[in-house]
Amino acid sequence: MKRVSIDPITRLEGHGRIDIFLDEEGNVANTCFQVLELRGFEQFCVGRRAEEMPVITNRICGVCPEAHHMASVKALDRVFGVAPPPAANKIRELLYMAFFVTDHTTHFYALGGPDFLVGPDAPPAERNILGVMRKVGLDVAKQVIACRARNHKVIETLGGRQIHPVAGVPGGWSKSVSEDERREIEIAARQNIEFALFTLGVFETVVLRNAAYREMLESDAYHHRTYYMGTVDPGNRLNLFDGQIRVIDPEGREFARYDAADYTEHVAERVEPWSYLKFPFLKRVGWKGFRDGAESGVYCATPLARLNVADRLPTPRAQEQFEKFYETLGAKKTDGRYAPVHHRLATHWARLIELLYAAERMLELATDPEITSPHVRNLPQGVVGHGVGCVEAPRGTLIHDYTTDAEGILRKVNLIVGTTNNHAAIAMSIRKAAGQLIQAGRVVEEGLLNRIEMAFRLYDPCLSCATHALPGAMPLIVNVINPSGDTIRMFRRDG
Amino acid sequence: MRTVIIGVGNPVLTDDGVGLKIADCLEEKYRGCADVTVRQLHCGGIRLMEAMAGHELAVVIDAMTGGSGRAGSVYTLGLAELGQTRNTWSAHDASLAMALELGAMGGLKLPGAVRIWAVEAKDVSTFSESLTPEVARAVPRVVKEVVRELESGRRARRTKR
Repeated sequence: MKRVSIDPITRLEGHGRIDIFLDEEGNVANTCFQVLELRGFEQFCVGRRAEEMPVITNRICGVCPEAHHMASVKALDRVFGVAPPPAANKIRELLYMAFFVTDHTTHFYALGGPDFLVGPDAPPAERNILGVMRKVGLDVAKQVIACRARNHKVIETLGGRQIHPVAGVPGGWSKSVSEDERREIEIAARQNIEFALFTLGVFETVVLRNAAYREMLESDAYHHRTYYMGTVDPGNRLNLFDGQIRVIDPEGREFARYDAADYTEHVAERVEPWSYLKFPFLKRVGWKGFRDGAESGVYCATPLARLNVADRLPTPRAQEQFEKFYETLGAKKTDGRYAPVHHRLATHWARLIELLYAAERMLELATDPEITSPHVRNLPQGVVGHGVGCVEAPRGTLIHDYTTDAEGILRKVNLIVGTTNNHAAIAMSIRKAAGQLIQAGRVVEEGLLNRIEMAFRLYDPCLSCATHALPGAMPLIVNVINPSGDTIRMFRRDG
Repeated sequence: MRTVIIGVGNPVLTDDGVGLKIADCLEEKYRGCADVTVRQLHCGGIRLMEAMAGHELAVVIDAMTGGSGRAGSVYTLGLAELGQTRNTWSAHDASLAMALELGAMGGLKLPGAVRIWAVEAKDVSTFSESLTPEVARAVPRVVKEVVRELESGRRARRTKR
């Protein structure tokens, strides 16, 4: 079997490598996506006091510490059997929405956007955030920087620190919000809404009105019919912070709806000999390989998945965009909900709709009279000994699962991070993109690396999180390997 | 000269935290000093650029792997060699060089000089809060070098005046 590898340059850690194996006919037989293994996370945690976890786990990743902090404090509420007061939950969610705004904004302008706004075949030297700014106007650079700055300020105000919040404690939050702080946050939220609408406008003008990009968005190369996972509120509306996990089948029918604490009844993890990463799948369907369809237990948990599982969005402007999204992409509406969209590149658009939702939700919370309540913590009275905390991280459903002894000392820790949910789907997307570019031994070299990268970039995989690492560079090497095991082509991107 | 010293790394990944440990020592040295700020960061790219904004000189301290020397070797780098340290860029947004250009586009006041100290790491894939002994030995050396460099810059400016 021939092999094509996308491999990292080894002087940097936290890397990814893609091997593409060709069959005798020179077509893609298989692809493997490998990352570096990190060792000893569970051992590192076991034996510590459980309440250290919100600060330890937010060190796993420099990109989404807020997501780990929140999942962790929610798990601790349960470990110590204490429910936070309403104001604490609202402060947590408010901080979390500010984080979502910065994370989704940065992804769009720096990573996802360049393929569309500059073009998938533009030279790499131009296909980056600077190229985006040159295309949409230098003033946008100011807006992106200002958006990040005001939301970092909100995170600092609420979380005690600009990065790696420390304010979350079992049973609540360690500081309340003053009226002056609330007023500033309200202003930031309003600016966020304007900025989200502006960004959606850019997407419409540059992508949706461009025939070539529309074709790419809806092309078969980036299309997969899988199950989808995301969190919904009791009315089946999107919720990024709390609710039940809902899974829909490829037709859009509800397949499962459960509390995060029951995740092991619904999700199992597959181990493949070629990867340190695990591949979660739906237990009830079973693992049938890296395959599309209702018979395969592969699911996806991304911004697109979250829109697909929701019947609607809870905020007015985001709901308008939600309807436009499904109408534009030709999804039929039956029994009050749209059929799922399977075009994976539409994840970029879905991410922007979530950006608007997060901004609107931020405003709702910032103007909630209870947000300035001084009652932000209930004290734990004892140790229950087990707790699962869950939030929707930008890159998918995030679960922290802790078991302690009677003294609250950790005995077992398990995390399922956003990216992990999507490993099988990412592998499938890479294989499909590669299959379109390598046929009968002919390797379309022009743009191969970027077309394959586009397949996983839409998931924004956080390999550092997935391997319980810090985010490092992710230089990439693709090796094309023939049936004799010889590497016949190598493409590399040095970060 | 408004100076920011930024230690970059992950505090729970063995030697990856060396930049943070050095920043801790420098924080102690420069506490109360009006024109020197010491910060710690856990990721690079745009975030690192933002931490530099508003300063005239930025000193970045990070771990590195794959250098030619042994664990604990210390390198001083300029912006051009930035790709060699572990955390100065982010896979989720941009390299530091690109982030600096973005900042300039966005009208941020960025440092005229960026100096990087990189310490060759031995282990960056095991969860631990302790440095390996080889890397730990480099900590006082880098602290001394950074202080010496900042002090000589100050003396030079005083002489000029």
